Amino acid sequence: MSLLGKSVTQLRKLIEAKELSKSELVDYFKKRIKKYNSSLNAYLTVNEKESEDKTGSLNGIPLAVKDNFCTKGLRTTASSKVLDKFIPPYESTVTQKLKEGGAIILGKTNMDAWAHGSSTETSDYGPTRNPWDVTRSPGGSSGGSSAAVSAYLAPAAIGSETAGSIRQPASWSGVVGLKPTYGRVSRYGVIAMGSSLDCPGPVTLTVEDAALILKLIAGKDPYDATSSPFPVKDYVEGLNENKKMTIGIPDEYFIGVDESVKSRISRCTGILEKMGHMIKKIKLIDPKYAISVYTIVQRAEVSSNLARYDGIRYGNDRTYFGEEAKRRIMLGAYTLSYGYYDAYYKKAQKVRTLIIEDFKKAFKQVDAIIGPTTPMTALKLGEWEKYPFFGEVMDVLNEPAAVAGIPAISVPAGLDKNGLPVGMQIMGNYFCEGTILNLAHQFEKETDFFGVVKKGLENCKD
Amino acid sequence: MICRNKKPSSSLSKNISNCYNADMKKKELTKEEVMHLAQLANLQLTEKETEDLQKKLSETLDYVENLQELKTENIIPTSQTTQLTDVFFKDGVQDKRILLPEDAVKNAKRKKDGYFEVNKIL
Amino acid sequence: MANYKPVIGLEIHVELKTKSKMFCQCSANYFGKKPNTNTCPVCLGLPGALPVPNEKAIEWTILIGKALNCTINKISKFDRKHYFYPDLPKGYQISQYDEPIAVNGQINIVGVGFSDPRYKGGNTPPLQKIFRIRRVHLEEDTGKLIHSGNETLIDFNRSGVPLVEIVTEPDFDNSDDVKRFLEELRVIIRYLDVSDADMEKGSMRLEPNISVREIPNSKFQIPNKFQLPKYKVEVKNINSFRYVKQAIEYELERQKEILEKGETPRQETRGFDEKKVATYSQRSKEEAHDYRYFPEPDIPPLTFTQDYISSIIVPELPQQKVERYVMDYQLKFDDAFRLTRDLKIANLFINIINNKEIKKNNIPIKFIANLFINSWLNKLRRLPEKTNERYVDEVVDAYKLRFQIGEAISSDKYDVIIDKVIAANQKVVDEYRKGKENAIMFLVGQVMREMKGKAEAKLIISKIKDKISN
Repeated sequence: MSLLGKSVTQLRKLIEAKELSKSELVDYFKKRIKKYNSSLNAYLTVNEKESEDKTGSLNGIPLAVKDNFCTKGLRTTASSKVLDKFIPPYESTVTQKLKEGGAIILGKTNMDAWAHGSSTETSDYGPTRNPWDVTRSPGGSSGGSSAAVSAYLAPAAIGSETAGSIRQPASWSGVVGLKPTYGRVSRYGVIAMGSSLDCPGPVTLTVEDAALILKLIAGKDPYDATSSPFPVKDYVEGLNENKKMTIGIPDEYFIGVDESVKSRISRCTGILEKMGHMIKKIKLIDPKYAISVYTIVQRAEVSSNLARYDGIRYGNDRTYFGEEAKRRIMLGAYTLSYGYYDAYYKKAQKVRTLIIEDFKKAFKQVDAIIGPTTPMTALKLGEWEKYPFFGEVMDVLNEPAAVAGIPAISVPAGLDKNGLPVGMQIMGNYFCEGTILNLAHQFEKETDFFGVVKKGLENCKD
Repeated sequence: MICRNKKPSSSLSKNISNCYNADMKKKELTKEEVMHLAQLANLQLTEKETEDLQKKLSETLDYVENLQELKTENIIPTSQTTQLTDVFFKDGVQDKRILLPEDAVKNAKRKKDGYFEVNKIL
Repeated sequence: MANYKPVIGLEIHVELKTKSKMFCQCSANYFGKKPNTNTCPVCLGLPGALPVPNEKAIEWTILIGKALNCTINKISKFDRKHYFYPDLPKGYQISQYDEPIAVNGQINIVGVGFSDPRYKGGNTPPLQKIFRIRRVHLEEDTGKLIHSGNETLIDFNRSGVPLVEIVTEPDFDNSDDVKRFLEELRVIIRYLDVSDADMEKGSMRLEPNISVREIPNSKFQIPNKFQLPKYKVEVKNINSFRYVKQAIEYELERQKEILEKGETPRQETRGFDEKKVATYSQRSKEEAHDYRYFPEPDIPPLTFTQDYISSIIVPELPQQKVERYVMDYQLKFDDAFRLTRDLKIANLFINIINNKEIKKNNIPIKFIANLFINSWLNKLRRLPEKTNERYVDEVVDAYKLRFQIGEAISSDKYDVIIDKVIAANQKVVDEYRKGKENAIMFLVGQVMREMKGKAEAKLIISKIKDKISN
């Protein structure tokens, strides 16, 4: 039996049926990591430790975890030389829940350093390469996690999104990526980038896997005051309700988008309509304003969150910061500095309110909003340098949902004219992960993602 | 991205430059401002880095000026998208998270007798 | 030559004695612990750690605000205050900026100017002044630095302990008032039982802001509306109320001299040297820190309903107690004042007054008050607590002796002399113990001789018996 491409859900069944042992499964992935990681650079650290034998909903499932989650006793760097040798003395809530659910952490994946970027090229440990085309980026900042899943170096991974950092690499790597509602999943133990924006979330091959992982990691955490007490639904159960929805399509999210991406999305919305969902044109605030809101708020919070890295209690001193980190810290400091706070930070937070109200209004008319995940498919490595604030610009279509805090999922929508994966995103109302997972699952059942995931696995055979 | 009065093009970077209104005053940071910021942010910059940052920061600040196009006089700034308030922890010692003294200093480059150590501060 | 009027404001920090720290569950009692044995990811500022506020600390801040007659803001929040220093683990302090918990209060300080020549003492109504409180807010403490040779060592046990900051308006114009105000504030805080407010242990810290305003002498100069001076000097590192007075006096002189030269004193932070009794320059306050305040994104805002605020009850405060003792027990202001400086002593006083034995013996309240004030106050502060019964006994004893000697002799004096006699006459004590009952009379005689006959034999006998039969 070939394990290649088996989803978490499928692997669980095999383990429960005792057709597969936990150690066999771990060995399988470790072998693949040995084979492919040096060329892909998806993993920074492979976990050599024995894992505790716990049972739960992810019984025996090996996972890759983005290197900004503090894993007790296992090196955590946020892909920055500042934390080159940092070994956390405590566990993040998410990885704690995974472990208690029986999951096994295979290793820590590469990312843009401090999550500052959309291509994994600002990592201090070299870029991760896209399994679809190793001269290209897998996206970022959760590029390592997405590449790992795309190349089946793990059946699923945990990433984090501040604005696009799960959806965009999922889209460029041809896999599923879910950004939950802000506050749905605890941030305790996640190396902070944008405190009011960061969302841990799953990167998977199927929508069902994403639902399964979300169910395990979601929920209120007394150690995170911004985590929500909103009840956690059974997201897996909810997948099978055959709901027909009203889907909003905003024209604003198609401007500046590559033609072949546009046509793939149109094809998808056509399919959804044939399936019985109602497609409705809606108007939303131009995403370009979200770029400004996001750039200011995120960089302000970054400049503050990176202030603790002084090399005294842990890590190296501030001379080890990379160029991108310095840029963001400086801009953030500027927008918070005396005399400028009102014009920048306060103004940005006001426009943020406008964007939130805009979405709230839209969700009175529609159940979900669909658009392309990114304006273009995977760029060649090195191209990012051409942009003054690449990360924020590349994520233009992700930033509105990010600053509003609403959930969104990216699913493979086919390939572009160059054979590179295109991603379609489905945005939902606050705490309506069930809705967008359901719609994404229906779409997956109908299209099988146009065979994208299967094709991706051909990049990295056993 | 909508750029008023300009034809949308397929290239993202072209769109950004098309959005710059040539009449708008360009935001230029002086070298002194950059150096002062670096001090506030506790960063050491080389000459080259300072110049690079002058340029890059100015470009970014220029772009975000577009927020001025939106009217926000009576809008309340968002600080929490969760709309949560009054989240507390009850007073009381809990051992769960307290670090063993060895663990507290484990990752420090310099330590002495259980303390963290730095060069003398005057 | 112009007249100079001091303009002084105070910034006081009070460490709350909650069980756990402000944003985590480490113990808030860090005193005397080995370094870095009382930390967690939150108060150590590890990557990924998040703060969650201590409910009690917030409640006690409201309590302090109410006790200082402040308005409690219905909406409040925490803000990040950024600066770099090795004892500040996150590179920012979680504090409050523009929406503190309490604002616009005041305290009426009675008994200001005890040293004022106009104050005649005794039954003269004491002077009083109102001092305004600008704000009361809540924040977290930093770690501690220890200087050792060529290094500085850092201990984070104290990092994250709740601190309440009280800022006054610059309403003070002399150092005596400042001292009196601080003494009253300390007693208030201790009455609320929210902090030990001990300057020596660091649970109360203060920084005066001192400037001097020129008041034009000449009647031809149009007097300005009260304008604050264009500078202020902050003095740190003052460890007692006595030093505050000295520091202020020194500063006022220093600043006057500069102004007389026609110059303006530099806006700065200065330290206080106890040995030299002088302030010294530390760093310039005018390159004022740009703290880049912004709302703390990790902590949702605080909202206080009227019901919640009302439910936080302020106990009887020292000044109210003083007035009540004067009215209910006809005590002099001075006496009532002294009795109420320590709540435990005040409570003991009340317990004794209301005691059955005391009432049975018709012991006047004034007698008891005098006993406290003239003999007991110092010892009560230092000795371990005895039961109320013990104290009652001593009062009764003292009262019984008062006519025989013209003045009450405290039980203590008896003890001292009896102990001395016992120690000097061990042989006689042994004889008594062996069974020679009469031996005790020899000891009694010795005690009577020491006390020059002014003693009650029965009491001496019972005391001696007590002591030697142990």
